[in-house]
Amino acid sequence: MFDLIREIGQTMRNNKLRTFLTGFAVAWGIFMLIILLGMARGVTNAFTDRSSGDRSSRLNVYQGVTNKPYKGYKEGRRIQPEMSDIEDLVARHPDLVESVASYKYLGSTNISSSKDYITKSPEGVFPAEKEMYKIPMLYGRFINDADLNYTRKIMIIGKPDATTLFGDPEKAVGQRVNAYGLSWLVAGVYDHEWLSDVYIPFTTAMTLSSSDGKVSNLQVKLKGLKTEEDGNRATETVRAALARNHDFDPEDESALYMYNRFNSYLRERSAFGILNISIWVIGIFTLLSGIVGVSNIMFVSVKERTHEIGIRRAIGAKPRSILFQIVLESVAITALFGYAGVFLGMCVMQLVDAGVGSTDFMHNPTIDISIAVEVTIVLVIAGSLAGLFPALKATKVKPVEALRDE
Amino acid sequence: MIIKLDNINKTYFGAVPLHVLKGINLGIDKGELVSIMGASGSGKSTLLNILGILDNYDSGDYHLDGVLVKNLSENKAAELRNRKIGFVFQSFNLISYKNAVENVALPLFYQGVSRRKRNILAMEQLDRMGLADRAHHLPGELSGGQKQRVAIARSLITHPAIILADEPTGALDSHTSKEVMEVFRQLNSDGMTIVIVTHDPGVGAATDRIIRIADGIIQPEKPEIKL
Repeated sequence: MFDLIREIGQTMRNNKLRTFLTGFAVAWGIFMLIILLGMARGVTNAFTDRSSGDRSSRLNVYQGVTNKPYKGYKEGRRIQPEMSDIEDLVARHPDLVESVASYKYLGSTNISSSKDYITKSPEGVFPAEKEMYKIPMLYGRFINDADLNYTRKIMIIGKPDATTLFGDPEKAVGQRVNAYGLSWLVAGVYDHEWLSDVYIPFTTAMTLSSSDGKVSNLQVKLKGLKTEEDGNRATETVRAALARNHDFDPEDESALYMYNRFNSYLRERSAFGILNISIWVIGIFTLLSGIVGVSNIMFVSVKERTHEIGIRRAIGAKPRSILFQIVLESVAITALFGYAGVFLGMCVMQLVDAGVGSTDFMHNPTIDISIAVEVTIVLVIAGSLAGLFPALKATKVKPVEALRDE
Repeated sequence: MIIKLDNINKTYFGAVPLHVLKGINLGIDKGELVSIMGASGSGKSTLLNILGILDNYDSGDYHLDGVLVKNLSENKAAELRNRKIGFVFQSFNLISYKNAVENVALPLFYQGVSRRKRNILAMEQLDRMGLADRAHHLPGELSGGQKQRVAIARSLITHPAIILADEPTGALDSHTSKEVMEVFRQLNSDGMTIVIVTHDPGVGAATDRIIRIADGIIQPEKPEIKL
């Protein structure tokens, strides 16, 4: 076997340019496959990150206007969710609703420390906001239930704002700032790639705004959802519960605007599934053109070497040793250049990962070892197939005719 | 008898069937140095191809060193060629990217002999041909005579029963031709059976027996003219 590999090495060295050009097509095919798979992996990772946990099983409810008369009320009535809905939904449907949150933006204000000030619209949120947007805390803590219960005047600020206000973000926690004519305690500093909000407890925001307990939205976290039907049923159940609270027709879909993220999550997931399959298909076909190239060149090579094959047959080479040599040569070219393609592709994806890193649309765009194993299998099979037909042709040449071929 | 042909017939079936060999009967004894001579198209190359198991025949029997060569599989034919026959061709038929020692050693590669052992054996044969100092030269770096001696070394490496040479001096000048024929004579005196196909009367004259073929038929040997 080692002898045969040496023999193949000699043939390849003897035809450097031809070997290189043949291999290049394969390397390019694999390179493109790795890039495409890496990119798809990156986009899929970002999607999985974004839709994992809270956000994928969430039903958002916004205010609306009725278009059906109900119990003596005329249509055209504005319906707005209320604070009371939040506790009511959890209490009434504990098997379906895990938690309900909301957010409230306050008007723009100057937030000032003794050193500097920033202009922001603070957002009143629930503790669940941290999980929902995967907000990584750098120092201190996020908003907790006690902050809500006691309508505390605390703030969670981003790292750049903490730097502006206090110079060193590490020193921000425990410091006080002024906003809306009140003194606030900075309880935490977070570091997020694209979020830059200032967070305050939801109840505090509601107190500061004169909203009569009405909220602009509800973020209902659902549980036990598996199919699109589950998602639709959950929407109807929540609509019916709110219809009871606000006296509107449960069939009236315009009374409250509802956006079920779970169903879009399912659709996105199947779209990403299709994306992945498409990329494999595109990749395999790109590779296939490389393989056809190898096969083509192997045919040429067999034709070119007819005389040599004749000599080998005359001095005792059996057809199967000629077949084995040509197939192995094809596998060697495919595997060698294929791996060069894999290596280059992985290098490029590492560079992309280092350059683009983690964004909302791309996260860790690299391929793992299982893909490399799959690619190896594909390469060996493809190389064997590419060499097989030319090799079979070579074995069919009669030695006496091959010797005549000059 | 090393070679025994009984009523060998061969027809090429083209647009017009061509009966090339017509009932060839031939015997060659061990240790003989014979030449097969004939005009172009006489069937001598076809005969050589059949003797070399490079081509099949239609009817008759061919025994090579006691083995009936008939309806062999490609694998069996390859094995017989490898072990029983050494080929020497007009155009040398060396592999251009292999050096002399690798070319000589190649038949042993197909016997599964280790690289080290076959290189040692190849060097011995090259030394026998006086080419030890050219062992690592590529064919392109050798003269015609040297190339042919490398080819002869290759034909000898498996210790075959017979050497079949097809116009071995056809590409060489007269001086080199004489040298190559001298090599064949030397090998023959060591006991090797050699069959040379040629149209060169000089080469024929240098052999012990001339088999003449014309129109696919072996011509009766002319009785010696006694003076």
